[in-house]
Amino acid sequence: MLLPFAGLFLGFLIWPLLNALYFAFTDFNGVTPPSWTGLDNFRRLWFEDPRFRTALVNSLIYVTCTVTLSTVASLALAVAFRGTSWRDRVLRTIFFLPSVTSTIAVMLIWRWIFSGERFGLANTVLSWFGADPVSWLSTPRWTVPLLVIMAVWGGCGYGMVIFVSGLNAIPDELYEAARLDGATDWQQFRHITLPQLKPVTTYVVITGLIGAFQVFEAVYIVFRGVSSVGGVQDGGLMLVPYLYDLGFTRFQLGYASAIAWTLFLIIFVISMIQLRVTRALREW
Amino acid sequence: MGRLLRLPLYLAALTMLVPFYWMAAAAFKPVPELTRNPPSFVPGDPTLDAFYEPSYDPGVRADQTVAGLFQRYPDVPGGFLRFMGNSLFVAATITVLSLLIAALAAYALTKMDLPGRRAIFVVVVASMMIPWQVTLVPNYLIVRNLEWLNSYQGYIVPALAKAFVVFFLVQYMRSIPDDLVHAARVDGAGEFRIWWRVVMPLMRPALAAMAILVVLAEWNNFLWPLIIVQDDTMANVPVALSRLNASNAFNPNNMAVIMAASLLTSLPTVIFFLAFQKHFTRGIALSGIKG
Repeated sequence: MLLPFAGLFLGFLIWPLLNALYFAFTDFNGVTPPSWTGLDNFRRLWFEDPRFRTALVNSLIYVTCTVTLSTVASLALAVAFRGTSWRDRVLRTIFFLPSVTSTIAVMLIWRWIFSGERFGLANTVLSWFGADPVSWLSTPRWTVPLLVIMAVWGGCGYGMVIFVSGLNAIPDELYEAARLDGATDWQQFRHITLPQLKPVTTYVVITGLIGAFQVFEAVYIVFRGVSSVGGVQDGGLMLVPYLYDLGFTRFQLGYASAIAWTLFLIIFVISMIQLRVTRALREW
Repeated sequence: MGRLLRLPLYLAALTMLVPFYWMAAAAFKPVPELTRNPPSFVPGDPTLDAFYEPSYDPGVRADQTVAGLFQRYPDVPGGFLRFMGNSLFVAATITVLSLLIAALAAYALTKMDLPGRRAIFVVVVASMMIPWQVTLVPNYLIVRNLEWLNSYQGYIVPALAKAFVVFFLVQYMRSIPDDLVHAARVDGAGEFRIWWRVVMPLMRPALAAMAILVVLAEWNNFLWPLIIVQDDTMANVPVALSRLNASNAFNPNNMAVIMAASLLTSLPTVIFFLAFQKHFTRGIALSGIKG
């Protein structure tokens, strides 16, 4: 009864994973057989490739900002709208809507909103304050901040749901005891809610990190430049878009596999940290 | 503190809805209104042209008439509905099959005396940290060698082994008493019968939560279809949307059509979510708490 799963698991996950590792050490265009080049791909990637450096730096900035902002936002939303009244439920639904909407559809909407013309919504709002229109999508400086805005808008509802269930798992007695001792709302939040939420917060942060490193659609749809997927001057180039660009528009499959394994290593390290932290929290 | 926090959050909730409103409004604007400056917030003269433009004539090139969504794709039988059908079929098939496969595996791992089942479970859980994009290139080659590019098998088969679903179902199945299974064995029932008749009915809440997560993820799946679909006929909705965008990006007259398509893509998932909200949030919450 394990067989169907085991077969598919080995055939389409483990075997491809090992294959990708092998390709990462080869020069391979998908047509002629791969030729072994040793560590050459990784050497080029880590020491010589300016586009990879751009992708990595963009990813790191994007991931840091997105995870910080959306964790804080989803915690605030969860604290404010944790109740069972219809008003809280409606508001939770509103914040969750982006998580169920097709990512591509959402990205097309953002593309229209940030249109560089005067009829773009963002530029209209600017014009109310007398500012000149900005060509949002073709200004490299704006690319990562816009991606962060879109990601926080799209992701805060998901974290909120997890935080709400975490909040509801905190025993009421703790708050009652604190209130008897005269603790203010802020003190209760600081000394009961936050410590009790530690495992949940860890989970939200770590899954957020892993998800953010894998961003693709936003870059591909909103910022796709004329000649590459990274946007104007690669302003929004990140790891997975770069992987796609090399693998499926330039057919450097070996080199793309080296990027894939780099991504895997990053996520592996994050997951290891999570294991450590959860274990530490459990003992603590 | 609750009160103080709430007011700005109500405002935030309103701004959350702005992109959705902008999409819906744009989908019903006639062409000249789309590029009006400043833009109109309520379509002054709402129209269904973005879906179907009666005066459109493919033989005549005019600036003010563009083909409605359902008039496009003359080579694709069914047009845009075909893409919705593709998405629906692929998402439904993957959901049913992957859940059955995962439930079988979970049963084997929790209720049967499998040698090394602990080790297998550890490998499955560990595999959850593999970003699936790592397997993109090799899986593309496998599917190409099987000549499954541009086919439903190419969509479906590589997506069937879901480690996360196995993990989740194992956790849930552990709460089902082994005595039930033993009793059924004593009565002479085979393993498949016990799995289907005894265990699966008790798993309903867990299966529902997982089904909803998988359906939505597959309906919205983009990168894999983008790579394996070459022919328009086989596109799912996200790929069709992205192609629609790519071929019309520089002509704002087509924006209403793109927004109409986005609207039609999002509506089913939103309705689906509203209908199954309870299962949905429970699935996410459970995965979060146990993680």
